[in-house]
Amino acid sequence: MSADKYEVIIIGGGPSGLAAAYKLAQAGVEVVLVERGDYCGSKNLSGGVFYTRVLDQLIPGFWEEAPVERYITNYVTTLMDKEDYFNLDYKGQALSKAPYNAFSVLRAKFDRWLAEKAEDAGVMLANGIKVEKVLKEGNKVTGIVAGDEEMLADVVIAADGINSFIAQEAGLRGPIKLEHLAVGAKALIELPRETIEERFRLTGNEGTAYAMLGEASHGVAGGAFLYTNLDSLSIGVVLRLDDLVKAGVKPAEVLDDLLEHPMVAPLVKDGKMVEYGAHLTAEGGLHMVPQQLVADGFIMVGDAAGFTINSGLVIRGMDLAVGSGIAAAEAIIEAKEKNDFSAASLNSYKRRLDESFVMKDLKTYAKAPIFMENDRLYKSYSKLANDIFGKVYNHDLTPKELLLKTALKALKENNLSIFDLARDGFKGVRAL
Amino acid sequence: MNVITCYKIVPDDQDIIVRDDRTLELGKAELEIGQYDLPAIEAGMQVVADAGGKVSALSVGPKLLENSKLKKAVLSRGPADLYLVVDDSLADADTHQTARTLAAAIQKIGNIDLVLCGEGSSDLYSQQVGAQLGELLGMANINAVSKITVEGDKLIVERTLEDEVEVLEVSLPAVISVTTDIVQPRIPSMKEVLSAGKKPVTQWSLADIGLADNPQTIETIDTLAPELAERKQIVIEGDSEDAVNELWENLRQELQ
Repeated sequence: MSADKYEVIIIGGGPSGLAAAYKLAQAGVEVVLVERGDYCGSKNLSGGVFYTRVLDQLIPGFWEEAPVERYITNYVTTLMDKEDYFNLDYKGQALSKAPYNAFSVLRAKFDRWLAEKAEDAGVMLANGIKVEKVLKEGNKVTGIVAGDEEMLADVVIAADGINSFIAQEAGLRGPIKLEHLAVGAKALIELPRETIEERFRLTGNEGTAYAMLGEASHGVAGGAFLYTNLDSLSIGVVLRLDDLVKAGVKPAEVLDDLLEHPMVAPLVKDGKMVEYGAHLTAEGGLHMVPQQLVADGFIMVGDAAGFTINSGLVIRGMDLAVGSGIAAAEAIIEAKEKNDFSAASLNSYKRRLDESFVMKDLKTYAKAPIFMENDRLYKSYSKLANDIFGKVYNHDLTPKELLLKTALKALKENNLSIFDLARDGFKGVRAL
Repeated sequence: MNVITCYKIVPDDQDIIVRDDRTLELGKAELEIGQYDLPAIEAGMQVVADAGGKVSALSVGPKLLENSKLKKAVLSRGPADLYLVVDDSLADADTHQTARTLAAAIQKIGNIDLVLCGEGSSDLYSQQVGAQLGELLGMANINAVSKITVEGDKLIVERTLEDEVEVLEVSLPAVISVTTDIVQPRIPSMKEVLSAGKKPVTQWSLADIGLADNPQTIETIDTLAPELAERKQIVIEGDSEDAVNELWENLRQELQ
């Protein structure tokens, strides 16, 4: 059977694959993008907070036309106990000015828009096609197989997400370690725009993002998030797989309890749940990025290459995906000029990543996953904070003690030593 | 043989929400090719596979037909080219308006031997357009066809009736509406999807096909979901004689 040949084939139509496709097509490279879903975004669980400065580099002023929800101006960190909670609330006016820092997006809409932009730029999109494997000649990747058809390319880009079996098949990635995986359970709750703006103290298209720790995840390693879309809220929990198995709880129960928590319940009250789902996500940061990101005729981008950061306060993936997609496209454009698609030639991708925010940030937060393996973060500190503030504000006619003494007592009650606190604090400051 | 297959773009019925007042919320529904039209397209591909010739796809409707994904969806299923008549006045076209528009487009394309339609649209399912189209074009005109065989310059078609299969000889040109069991529609392959984007698309306005005046003859007052039947919600468990008797007693009371 004769096989068609293209310059670049991209497997996966998420932000990384689409960014690479757009950049390549703009440079006049002949690029085919193969996406399993009926449309780009259709396989995607509701959305996320997208730190979009890098997208502004790719598509200047994208927010004028892209289906983004709200620009995030309010960041709230919640230390949650069973019934009490302690919020750190930040609002920055600079965050409400163009070019915006971050947007909440619903990916079914957003990815679809990005796919249309890519198509307009000249990308050939093939939706509804599942790539079964890559074609190889020795160590060189030469194309893809879908159904009983083969298609050849100078370069194949794996942009097929966290479970990238394409990367595994190309021999660049082993199975993911259990402690690097987490289960996310998420709900999308519809509320009228005005209600959201009132409840979250927002003006116009401003938005809020919450990071919730402690009881929010039933003490399981991980946490919970809540952010505002235009006329809906996305709320969910992220639970590290190894700890979840140990604790023996179900993600759906954790999410259900969170929705009833005294902090969350009034925010979601009278909302209509329109979507509910679960998804595997990665938490490993730099530790799960493979040694080799390229092979002969092959490049990995986005989640497929393990580019995710969870610092506890922010979870990032989409910005790293777009950044890596752009870097991959630039490396291929340069390789095309030399007509050399070997691993050595494509490795300028690695250099570009090292020079960009992608690798710099991954390295900065490299210690975060190890720091966050610490049980005290999830099980003790939220309760501690709430105990201390509970005692500070509660005037039950017993004589008051100074703050320091109150804090030391609360530490003792929570079986924590001041050394634990100092050590974790020091590690935290260094890791985050 | 030159074959035209007609199709309609409809909302995916799985995503249609019925509101409390029985009106329909279509905003969340993806647009797709009508489920009954897909077998007609595939049947057209089979006819030219056997007898040679070319299949062209044709649709008439509002601006949403221009969506590139929808154009590729039909062309990835085999047709060599696509004709569209686009006018927003066709958004809620009645069956006569649709048939008239299709007929004018087919006359403009010209030199057509066979026109294939689905058994009905998957949104309104009036089953009218095929029959009216045949009449307007002055062609032989048959519906409910479950098999087509080309024999020289004629077709042998089968219609599956209640307890017999009717076999008919049809002279060409003809308009034929086919049932869903005529053939299993294909799932487009990667190459079919990619080549679809390169196939020619011809788009006309109503004026281009000489139909500037195409009034709606029927006014739609309401489109409502049927009223939900109140269920008794009686569950009888077990297979004992008592359970069977209880079931019978309930049925008997209902049938009285």
